[in-house]
Amino acid sequence: MDVDVDGLTLTLGGRPVLDGVSLHAQPGEIYGLLGPNGAGKSTTLSVITGLRRAASGQVSVVGHDPAREALALHREIGVLPERSGFYDWMDAPAYLAWFAQLYGRRLTGPEITAELAQVGLDGRNRRAIGTYSQGMRQRLGLARALLHRPRLLILDEPTNGLDPRGRREVHNLLLERSRQDGVGILLCTHLLDDVERLCTRIGILHQGRTVFEGALSELATASNEGESYRLHLRTEPPAVPLPPGVELLAWQGEWARIKLDGTRPPEDVWRGLLAARWPIAEIHQEAGGLETLYLRMTQKEEGPA
Amino acid sequence: MRRRLLLVPVLLLCAAMSALAAEPLEITLAPDGANPASPQMGEHLQFGSVIRNTGGVSLHGIVAWISMVRMDPGQEQPMDLEDWSAHKAVTRATLAPDGAITVNWPMRLIQAGDFRVVISAVTRDSQRIVTSPFLDFHVRPKPVVESSRILPVAFGMPLLIGGLLAFRMRGRILRR
Amino acid sequence: MNPILLIARKESRELLGSGRGLAWLLALSAVLSVLGLLFVSNTELSLLDNAQVVTMELGTITALGALLAVVLGSDAIAGERERATLIPLLLSPARRTDIVLGKMGNQLVGWLVMYLIGLPYLWAVGSSGQNLAQACAYLALFGTPLVLGFGFLAQGLSSRAAAVRSALVPSLLALILLGGPVMLGPSFRQSAIGSWLDRVNPFAAAINSFDSVVIDSQSLSAQLARLAIVLIWLAATAAFARSSATSMNV
Repeated sequence: MDVDVDGLTLTLGGRPVLDGVSLHAQPGEIYGLLGPNGAGKSTTLSVITGLRRAASGQVSVVGHDPAREALALHREIGVLPERSGFYDWMDAPAYLAWFAQLYGRRLTGPEITAELAQVGLDGRNRRAIGTYSQGMRQRLGLARALLHRPRLLILDEPTNGLDPRGRREVHNLLLERSRQDGVGILLCTHLLDDVERLCTRIGILHQGRTVFEGALSELATASNEGESYRLHLRTEPPAVPLPPGVELLAWQGEWARIKLDGTRPPEDVWRGLLAARWPIAEIHQEAGGLETLYLRMTQKEEGPA
Repeated sequence: MRRRLLLVPVLLLCAAMSALAAEPLEITLAPDGANPASPQMGEHLQFGSVIRNTGGVSLHGIVAWISMVRMDPGQEQPMDLEDWSAHKAVTRATLAPDGAITVNWPMRLIQAGDFRVVISAVTRDSQRIVTSPFLDFHVRPKPVVESSRILPVAFGMPLLIGGLLAFRMRGRILRR
Repeated sequence: MNPILLIARKESRELLGSGRGLAWLLALSAVLSVLGLLFVSNTELSLLDNAQVVTMELGTITALGALLAVVLGSDAIAGERERATLIPLLLSPARRTDIVLGKMGNQLVGWLVMYLIGLPYLWAVGSSGQNLAQACAYLALFGTPLVLGFGFLAQGLSSRAAAVRSALVPSLLALILLGGPVMLGPSFRQSAIGSWLDRVNPFAAAINSFDSVVIDSQSLSAQLARLAIVLIWLAATAAFARSSATSMNV
């Protein structure tokens, strides 16, 4: 396990902030940590990264106990906190060079340029960081987290302030790191689009507890609600029965509205339809989906006792 | 008639004698007994005066003041007592016959050198100024801050640091 | 490179290379300049002899150095927290103790810069008088532990405080409480409370040593008791700052 957390509890200021958090991320996978504001996500991350000690529970991160082996842990993880500041009087190359030295790396000029280029920043830019936009600062924070080639990245809202192109670039970078270098990623975000695109497993926190943990596709099953899709077909579909768990809701010209009952992952359904020679050109999920399921999952816990 | 003619020169002589006689004011000036024997810059001195009406009639509108001149050879000049003393004059509306005004004249020694002080006085009806005897004294110098060294540093250091700051700010603006 | 040196070097570059740091040095230099101009333009001050002026200058440089140390110290940890730069630093391989020691190193650089700024002013007021070399030496000997002590005190408070101002206010109060009585007249300092304060107050120990050496030409041996007071002050505040690493408010 890259991250192995069981039964975490923590009280701050007399108030229970974590009351049974568990999450388990496999090596090299991208794990999404979701939850409403105040659910305890950032506090969980602070315990995982060794900034705080839990009152009880077991924590192991890339084989280290954060409470006792924080320094060794910090050499193997890269962290992008939600609110990440910089030394505004420095320029980006100087900042990265200085930070790299903390990790025992002396970067050459071309190396610094390459580190900045991978996150879409210009290594020749000698402007002070204080003049940077939020998106540029976010990219610089990502470059800082990647500096020392960590085994595990812990990212809190990494696409904050980025435009759609920037978000896509960050997604591609993270996917590349995960697939090519086997870097595990613990992604804490509100953006369900990011979760759907990047994550294979997710955990949902609510009121300091884990209310769901599992594969993304399991979320639909767990919430016992199907998902609606619109399929754009190039031609008329063959006259064969629909696979089990798939219901045709309506035809709208070249578009077919279908509903999945959630017993099978959507990918399996598409593979089945394609195998049955359905001429599918596009697949669009209708409003609801993960967001609806997430809201219902967290709303359930707020129901009357 | 002859007697009246003889009176005229006598009267004229009396008038002339009156005019030639000293104003009925007498002024003394003496150093205070507590003054240091060899005063130095920054120390304090005090002088005492007695202004007495030596005439037979009351005097009105008396003004007495202290003056000082520098006597160093080649640097003789009257001194502005602005910084030396806050008590530079005394007035009295009326001084009866044989009456006296006792005045103390305190002084802070601002400069080094040789100086002479005198007390002067006039009345409303006087025709001439009345002075005390002169009093001379010497003020020893002491080492103090020299402006020739202070001024370059006082202006130069902030200019140097300010220049560095401006250079830094300019570099930052250019890089933007 | 050692994280302590890395952090100290980065902090020093900010002090000497950033607009904010240079603006502070400019302001402190301006105060010394105003004092210097008063020495030649003000009637009362211009009558002071060189030795008295030099001791006043020493006291002013020390007080300004302490003020800079308090500002740097208060900002050391709480400022990083406010600017959200503390967390990335804590998540690096630098230990909390390394961070605190690096910041303390920056205090030393700040005082060194203040000392170097003060030297031309000392020369300007004291070059025609007595004991100028001793004045410079005693400014280093007594000024260094005194000023660093104020910086370490502020830094220790900064580690525990939630905001810079929560560390700055008590640090300035400490500076005023220790420095204030020294500026009061001889009648207070000769009273029972005043003389007791004079004996234990590190600020008074430094100022009295300046007086004794520059004006009365006393030797070092006569200042040993006062030196002990400032060194105890330095040790106590350094221990406080270092212990703050473990109770650092994240």
